[in-house]
Amino acid sequence: MRLFHETHIDFMGKRNIWYTVSLITLVIGLAAVFVRGVSFGIDFLGGTELVLRFDQAVPIGDIRSALDKVGLGRSEIKTFGSDRDILIRTSEQAPGTTMGDMMRETLKGSFSNNSFTVLKEDKIGPRIGYELRRDAVYAVIATLIVIMVYIGFRFKFVYGVTAVIALFHDVLVTFGLCSLLNGLSPYLNLEMTQTMVAAFLTLIGFSTNDTVIVFDRIRENLKIYRSEDLKTIMNKSINQTLSRTIITSGTVVMVLIVLLLFGGEVNRGFAFAFLIGTISGTYSSVYVASAMVLDWTQYRKKKLQAIKAAA
Amino acid sequence: MRKNLTKIIIIVASVLLSIYFLYPTYKDSKYTRELRGLRGEDSLKYVDRNENAIRDARIKRLKLGLDLQGGMRVVLEVDVLKMLEATAKNRDDNFNSILADVRKEATTSEVSLLDIFKKKFQEKGIRLSRYYGNIRDSDDDIISNLDKLSTEAIDRGMEIIRNRVDQYGVSEPTIQKLGGRRIIVELPGVSKESEVRQLLQGTALLEFKLLKDPEVSYKIMDTIDKYLAGKGITDTTGGDTSKTKPSSPTGRKDTAAATAAAESLNAQLPKTEAEQAKEHPFLFLARPDQRGGGEAYVAEEDRDKVTRLLNRDDVKHLIPSDVEFLWSAKHLFISEGKRYYVLYWVKKEPELTGGVITTARATIDPNTNQPIVTMEMNSEGSRDWARITGANINKRIAIVLDKAVFSSPVVRTKIIGGNSQIEGMENIDEARLLEIVLKAGALPAPVEIIEQRNVGPSLGEDSISQGLFSTILSFVAIVLFMVVYYRKGGGIADLALLFNILFILGVLAGFQATLTLPGIAGIILTIGMAVDANVLIYERIREEAVTGKTLRAAIDAGYSKAFHAIFDSNITTFFSGVILYQFGTGPVQGFALTLMIGIAASMFSAIVITRVIFEVMMERGATAINFG
Repeated sequence: MRLFHETHIDFMGKRNIWYTVSLITLVIGLAAVFVRGVSFGIDFLGGTELVLRFDQAVPIGDIRSALDKVGLGRSEIKTFGSDRDILIRTSEQAPGTTMGDMMRETLKGSFSNNSFTVLKEDKIGPRIGYELRRDAVYAVIATLIVIMVYIGFRFKFVYGVTAVIALFHDVLVTFGLCSLLNGLSPYLNLEMTQTMVAAFLTLIGFSTNDTVIVFDRIRENLKIYRSEDLKTIMNKSINQTLSRTIITSGTVVMVLIVLLLFGGEVNRGFAFAFLIGTISGTYSSVYVASAMVLDWTQYRKKKLQAIKAAA
Repeated sequence: MRKNLTKIIIIVASVLLSIYFLYPTYKDSKYTRELRGLRGEDSLKYVDRNENAIRDARIKRLKLGLDLQGGMRVVLEVDVLKMLEATAKNRDDNFNSILADVRKEATTSEVSLLDIFKKKFQEKGIRLSRYYGNIRDSDDDIISNLDKLSTEAIDRGMEIIRNRVDQYGVSEPTIQKLGGRRIIVELPGVSKESEVRQLLQGTALLEFKLLKDPEVSYKIMDTIDKYLAGKGITDTTGGDTSKTKPSSPTGRKDTAAATAAAESLNAQLPKTEAEQAKEHPFLFLARPDQRGGGEAYVAEEDRDKVTRLLNRDDVKHLIPSDVEFLWSAKHLFISEGKRYYVLYWVKKEPELTGGVITTARATIDPNTNQPIVTMEMNSEGSRDWARITGANINKRIAIVLDKAVFSSPVVRTKIIGGNSQIEGMENIDEARLLEIVLKAGALPAPVEIIEQRNVGPSLGEDSISQGLFSTILSFVAIVLFMVVYYRKGGGIADLALLFNILFILGVLAGFQATLTLPGIAGIILTIGMAVDANVLIYERIREEAVTGKTLRAAIDAGYSKAFHAIFDSNITTFFSGVILYQFGTGPVQGFALTLMIGIAASMFSAIVITRVIFEVMMERGATAINFG
């Protein structure tokens, strides 16, 4: 069975259109980050987070007024999956686990005929929150550098650079979209947590897969079709590998959709981020990376010709 | 067939190895299910009968992360600021304001807290010796002293926590030091978090208790033994190797009467195992020591059983009201690969409690070249200590921390002035441990919980079932796709995928690694990624076949030409996994681990296993394989 018969799409010819599309998506994403800010999970904020399962559903307002009595009325309170499960989060710090204890005691008193069990309780001290934020940034930068070096080493340096630019583009688009869509549905929790950062890091490594497939074919075709120009070769390579890139991404998209729908609350944010990233990644490897190599090579050639002409 | 033989052997060996590693997990779940169906007495009997097998399966099974089995993860850190506050003399407003500054800056600074501390003092031009140590001490001296104090505090904290967690009886707890200042404690399956938090935060209780006279101890044990034998309570641990009498340690004073009592007890034990167990249900497990010290030795695996027996209401009546039993904190010796702990009988009321110790030090006695621990007490402690030691010469006093006995030396002389010396340790490490224990009673450096993650068991169960369901569903989806799109080739790829998952789980079990909820996501992701290698190969094969190559040539070309792309793309994802493993904690690390193992396994199955299958098919005469 074939979904992609021999295609002859002029990808490189139309690249200016697609540069524009990329830029627009990036701008929207960054605007979202700017306007809505990044919502951090408790991993990075520090504080205490409590998830309780009540016997019967409780209106959030009631919980808030109960907590207000101990000065925690401004905590973040929302549902966690079903409406019996309540998530309470505050970024105020207290020694040890006193914050969590206090919350539970207060709620037990206020809702004496509606008992609850603790599904999850996290407390992150201020120092740990800072360290996790710092480490997350380091990890992303480290991964990008490692990949740039590796690709530059296996192909040519300019390929390494453009691959990383494409990756950076993917990360920013995903980041922006997550910020934009966070909280759209009560079931979609896209806050920045350690798991989300894991999604980004894995995405960076995985996105290169498509890029490598295209680069590998370009390299092979450069050896075979010595007489043709770069633009034609690139077009040929992308067309030849189109089914490959789309199907490999397709299989991952398939499992991610399963994970998104059935994988549970904890993995949902991860699945969503990875999904967006994979789609963006496929597009960027087909386009952004190769197009930039083409433009860079043509630019270099023009410069060389200018120098020769002047000489 | 010949050239593929090695490959086939490797594949079969890997499969068998994976199954071998995963077998305990299967057995463990079987036992758990059976136990859940039994009640009360029946379940106890079942546990006794199969105790070894159950324990074995539990140890070797696939470890589930805290987010899947429920439990608690706590990171503790020495609260250096509190320590600085508590050990300073003449605290004044200046001091307090500097401390507040330090606290604020320390949260987001990369510099160590003590260095910030030193800097702030220097900025204000005040010498540290104003609040610490001697007037002649330089700032650097004081800082290095304080540094040592905080490192000691962490060691103390670890010992105390280890001791307490041990007694609380958590299965598979993990206690590790992180860096120089932090302790990570993981307690799977813990449900009463409030109790456990007490465990981790309260101050340690150091007590000095008198050991009962040996004749009394032996009599108690004998009475219990006879009572239990009369009731017909047996404790058969079938299939155990014969329990030879464990050898006793040296260096105990004994009285003639006590030795006789011990010998008569031991002489009563008849020859055969089962008979022994039946006639002496208690003494079979708790072997009285040979030297007449009044204690008994119990193998590690029998400790719980003995505790259970001694906690029975009817047995409790046999123990005098002023007596209690205590376990040694560490095992005393190892015999035939089993660790033996000591059961002590002590006077319930402590003679002295730990607040009186001012300092302790492990060192080598210059006269005897043996390790000793010297300790000093405050004035009121010294008075009491003189009285106690004077009244109990040649008797033994147990040094008890949080209800576990760390040492039980003999009182040789009356000790005046509170400076004592404890001897009888095997090596300097034991002495250091005792030093830590003695100092623990007065803890100037409190340990604070800086991170805590607690997952309730119901969330854990939900997560497991969701994880299982999504894994199966994604597997089915991929299998269907591959068969529809790549026909027979796809079917073979699916077979390889099955092996893939088997290998991942087998490696996790074999390395005793932990499976977490993100880890399950990692497996699902691997399912999606694993077939990518197959896709690359098959697309290439299709391409080559169209140019008119034979089946064999097309397959060869497909595998060799696609290899570079497969390798490069998988390696980059692998790199991500490595960096993620370094950066993440707990569940995220579990994900990174399954990702890396998954990539390695999928490369193996896509390149080696499918190739072998194709080769075998071609040798059997296949001339055309449908690649869709």
